[in-house]
Amino acid sequence: MHSKKVRYMTAFAAVICLAWLVGFGWTVKDYLIGSGRGVSLAAPAEQPAPEGQAGKVVALGDSLTRGTGDDEGKGYAGYLADELKEEGFRASMVNLGIKGLTSAGLLEQLGQKEIARQVGQADIVLLTIGGNDLFLGGQTLSDLSAASLAKLEDAFAANLASILETIRSANPAATVYLLGLYDPFRELEDGAETSRAVRSWNARTMETISAYDDMVFVPTYDLFQRNTADYLFTDRFHPNGRGYRLMAGRLAALIAEEGGAP
Amino acid sequence: MINLVHNEMMKLLGKRRFLIIGIIIVVLLALFAYAQARQSEAVKERLGEVDWRTELQQQIVDWQNRLSSAGQWREQLEIQIDQYQYYLDHDVNPSEPGAPSFMRGFTENSAELFLPLLVMIVAVDLVSSERSMGTIKLLLTRPVSRSAVLLSKYIALVLSVSIVIFLFALLSYLISALMFGNKGWTAPVLTGFEVRGGELDASGVRLVSQWQYLLQQFGLAWFISLVVGTLSFMLSILMRSSAAGMGTMLACLISGAILSNMVSSWDSAKYLFMVNLGLMDYMSGSPPPIEGMTLGFSLTVLAVWMAAALAASFAVFTRKDIY
Repeated sequence: MHSKKVRYMTAFAAVICLAWLVGFGWTVKDYLIGSGRGVSLAAPAEQPAPEGQAGKVVALGDSLTRGTGDDEGKGYAGYLADELKEEGFRASMVNLGIKGLTSAGLLEQLGQKEIARQVGQADIVLLTIGGNDLFLGGQTLSDLSAASLAKLEDAFAANLASILETIRSANPAATVYLLGLYDPFRELEDGAETSRAVRSWNARTMETISAYDDMVFVPTYDLFQRNTADYLFTDRFHPNGRGYRLMAGRLAALIAEEGGAP
Repeated sequence: MINLVHNEMMKLLGKRRFLIIGIIIVVLLALFAYAQARQSEAVKERLGEVDWRTELQQQIVDWQNRLSSAGQWREQLEIQIDQYQYYLDHDVNPSEPGAPSFMRGFTENSAELFLPLLVMIVAVDLVSSERSMGTIKLLLTRPVSRSAVLLSKYIALVLSVSIVIFLFALLSYLISALMFGNKGWTAPVLTGFEVRGGELDASGVRLVSQWQYLLQQFGLAWFISLVVGTLSFMLSILMRSSAAGMGTMLACLISGAILSNMVSSWDSAKYLFMVNLGLMDYMSGSPPPIEGMTLGFSLTVLAVWMAAALAASFAVFTRKDIY
């Protein structure tokens, strides 16, 4: 190697060494001594919804929306997106479901700015909620008395009304599909009683939602009524892939029937 | 002295080590850039054409769902969620598309292990190879003191570390600009998050430009590499065989990566240099391996180790019998 070339390289290396030293010194100054500048975070401007793009579906709710129990992890929302794509609808699908969410939790989630913005952009809102309110991680199963059920139902109906109210005020135009509950325990010992509780719960839900325009109650109770075990995941509570496909099929039919809003 | 340094640089450049380092960087970069491109494709596939806010919100919800099964990572995940939520609330995109964002992520992930490894390639046989080849006698018969010889070697090492970081920066820029476009240098980055008692503290958060953040990152990466380089330098004096030095240093680095994940209750481990190499975490606001560690603390520990290694190097080299 030429001596001259090496000389250039060495000089060049010295220069970049200096550059890194500056970077290092700057870091030390900013992070150890303090940058001297305060927080300069302006309040973010309101984001207008992007116009003229393909339809948007926003799925809200609990583990059913999340897709717990589905081997492919898609859940009814994922299968619905697949079906809509097959039928030629271009829609983006945003899944904001959180495992274990109760109606109170959903109400809190809807209070977040970005969640409200997402709902505001949606053409279709999908919703599963109430399962965790009713079954409370198994507690309800030991106390199926009419009085305690009525108490749960009242609280849920009030929350649900606020949820639908919030969705409507964030988005006056979107169609909302609320999926009803099915009874995962119908083949157990107390099956008759849990089924009765679920039916009553669904009736109350349907009653609440009927007060709003463009909000549709989609039953799932009948889907899981026969051969329940075949459609449930090994936890005997969440649907499996087949169960979710049934739910998605029902939604796809409804959405396509409306002329494919998205 | 300058002539001595030139002499050392000539030897280093003659070995074509930088070419090998460049090739390693390019191969890895191509892999990561491709993985990144696939990742964003998969997101598009799943969500459709959406803006970054939607993507970020989806990411946050996905993580929230993972919380219940996160086990020991729960706290870390929670902090990450809080941080992203902060980005979202303040309308700042945490990964503005473009080359600088990719470089930022890549540097953050390579500073702890990958860059030090590259530096080791240069540093680990700086002295020991001279000994195994027998050229050290020629070097020491010159009319200069032994410490001057060693100092010239060390300066050459510092310059080499700078070159390695420069190569890394240049190549990662070229490849990512090619794949993601040359934009987003002035995009804002939120920094100054702190983790206190397992909670994210956003009171000291401030906005910086991405180019500034990148320069600071490279500064820190340079320092980390320099520390590892100095320690390898010491090993190349203490050990006759380059392979042994390489093995020792590798063991240290890898044990550091493992220890960082499991020492949270072993308090005195924070004085080990390899647990302190994650300087980038302080910039990005990830929780440190041991509660209570700060940037200042880690820098001090690393500086002390470096000074000790240098002192040991000179002490041994000037007294050792060379035959």
